[in-house]
Amino acid sequence: MRVGVFKFSSCDGCQLAFFDVLEELLKSREIQIEFFLEAQSINRFDTFDVSFVEGSVSTEEEEERIRQIRESSRYLVSIGACAVSGGIQSIRNFLDFETLKNEVYNYVDLHNSLPTSRPISDYVKVNYEVRGCPINAFELVEIVTSIILNKSLTVNLNPVCVECKAKGNICILVLGSPCLGPITASGCGALCPSFKRGCYGCFGPLRGSNFEGLKQIFKERGWDFQESILSSFNSYNKNFRDEVWKLGS
Amino acid sequence: MEIRELKPLTRVEGEGRVILKFKDGLVEDVYINIFEPPRFFEGILKGRKFSSVMDITARICGICPIAYQMSSVQAIESIFGVEVFSEIENLRRLFYYSEWISSHVLHIFFLHLPDFLGVSSIFDIHRVQPEVVKRVLRLKEYGAKLTELIGGRSSHPVSVVVGGFSKVPRKENFTKLLSDFDKVYEDAIFLFEYLASLNYPEYSLGEEVLFVSLIDGDNYPILKGEIYSSDGFVVSKNEFSDYFVEYELPYSNAKFCKRKDGRHYIVGPLARFNNSFEKLLDSVKQLALKYRITPPVMNPYKSILVRMLEVIDCLERGRSVMEKYRDITKPVVDYRVVAGVGTGISEAPRGVLWHRYRLNSDGLVEEADIVPPTSQNQYVMELDVRRCLAGKTEKESLEKVEEAEKLIRNYDPCISCATHFLRVEVIS
Repeated sequence: MRVGVFKFSSCDGCQLAFFDVLEELLKSREIQIEFFLEAQSINRFDTFDVSFVEGSVSTEEEEERIRQIRESSRYLVSIGACAVSGGIQSIRNFLDFETLKNEVYNYVDLHNSLPTSRPISDYVKVNYEVRGCPINAFELVEIVTSIILNKSLTVNLNPVCVECKAKGNICILVLGSPCLGPITASGCGALCPSFKRGCYGCFGPLRGSNFEGLKQIFKERGWDFQESILSSFNSYNKNFRDEVWKLGS
Repeated sequence: MEIRELKPLTRVEGEGRVILKFKDGLVEDVYINIFEPPRFFEGILKGRKFSSVMDITARICGICPIAYQMSSVQAIESIFGVEVFSEIENLRRLFYYSEWISSHVLHIFFLHLPDFLGVSSIFDIHRVQPEVVKRVLRLKEYGAKLTELIGGRSSHPVSVVVGGFSKVPRKENFTKLLSDFDKVYEDAIFLFEYLASLNYPEYSLGEEVLFVSLIDGDNYPILKGEIYSSDGFVVSKNEFSDYFVEYELPYSNAKFCKRKDGRHYIVGPLARFNNSFEKLLDSVKQLALKYRITPPVMNPYKSILVRMLEVIDCLERGRSVMEKYRDITKPVVDYRVVAGVGTGISEAPRGVLWHRYRLNSDGLVEEADIVPPTSQNQYVMELDVRRCLAGKTEKESLEKVEEAEKLIRNYDPCISCATHFLRVEVIS
């Protein structure tokens, strides 16, 4: 199986997950890592059975590159909140880009930067999305194994609350702090509530969850819902963005 | 002017490229062009709540998120006038040691070591020396487990909050890590001796390069301190921007840094080692002396050995914190949100990381300023590459491209921090 690992606009954290499961991956002789700039100095860009893409599309060059990768890959898997939703840097999609640019740089020519940071699926067909900021490394092993064995992947349908209840945590909302758990996909093991703080949305919005209901709770308690969503690393997720725009108006 | 893409620069964090500029058939100038897409962190932080800052700045770098959290949290605490309890400070140090272990091990063995063995990747090393890689993975996992215990997960941990930690481990949680310690420590010593047996190219930094690191009493610098330059010049964290300046050059999305008097400097393992050798643990000093690694280390290739010494120092110090650890009953100090400006500084694995924030009375960020280690190293990194390639013919320079890439890797550049695809372009 010919594998490619690619980085777009991101922090590098998700592709490092390959190093965390190195032993598991090395066990299979079928896996050939053909392209992985951060890991190896000899890389070949040809065709791939599966390409893992980290990061969001935020420059003209990246728009072009994601199309090339899609054309060269049988399966394309987005890994992490940047690739799946646009990442924390997609806050800029809700801001005036010219003002933002001038705040950070004075002279560097940034004509190549797009006014938006968007998920991979805004540009090309994506076969599977691995959520999380960062992803859970063992999901990579699961995907690679599933493709080798030609078996279907299970889709996560639960909010963080299910994992949280299973852990026996006291509900953070009940304790009196903001928590995005009810509308966020599980996968982290209800990490933040287990650390006595509200979920801040790393795994992104769960489709079909009660967005309006949680918005109401935040409103009643005087918490800033818009700010919590904007800082959620997934505010530009397709399941979210229309709602986020409405919050602003 | 012709621009030709030659080959990607690899095994570094993030994307950039070397540009060669030719005149009359010879390399006239060399640039490191970092074109990692900027994510405008300082801009998107504006308007965020102070309590989200540690979560957001962590995402600047997937390798050193704790460094970002520590510089941020200390900056905000200085605005609120918060002084954390000493046991919380010790736990923060332990947390930081865990990141140095993981980050250094990643760079030493996954990114840097292939250069010394003439192979493409750690996958190749695994094929011929699986027992070495086994030890590497065990050591890396030890760092990761320690991070996980304190922060919930090994990348982008969640427990750091203003005033302390949202939740702290209990004494008994350290039992497993303490019982695994001896085995992992032996791995670390084995790996250091393995690295010490490698051949190192002769190379020296110019005498004009300063070493800048933090000094923090008798501690080897990590969590906090004053900024010390190797010419004896010391400034406080609040004075950093008065004496060190960031500047932009048109070919790079990462900013450069220099001291205001024009002197260029490096930060990171060599700077810390050369400025604070005496403060390493005795056992680590002995090990360094045994292998004739003494300050000043002027050969950037040997930074790999210094990183490994720092790993060993962190392991031993970590054990000591774990052994002395007593259950913490109050993990967060009470504080009141006030408006103000504050700075935070710490030693990221790659060097000095400075943050400054201005908050309004609602605790919302009005202004954020972040100076990462890689911007500070960029000038000298470029100087090394220029020395390697300038004046060469096109054929000679292309033969030396690999060496130039190695010179860059010596600095463990974290390009996501400093602002992408390292590619080599030739302008002729």
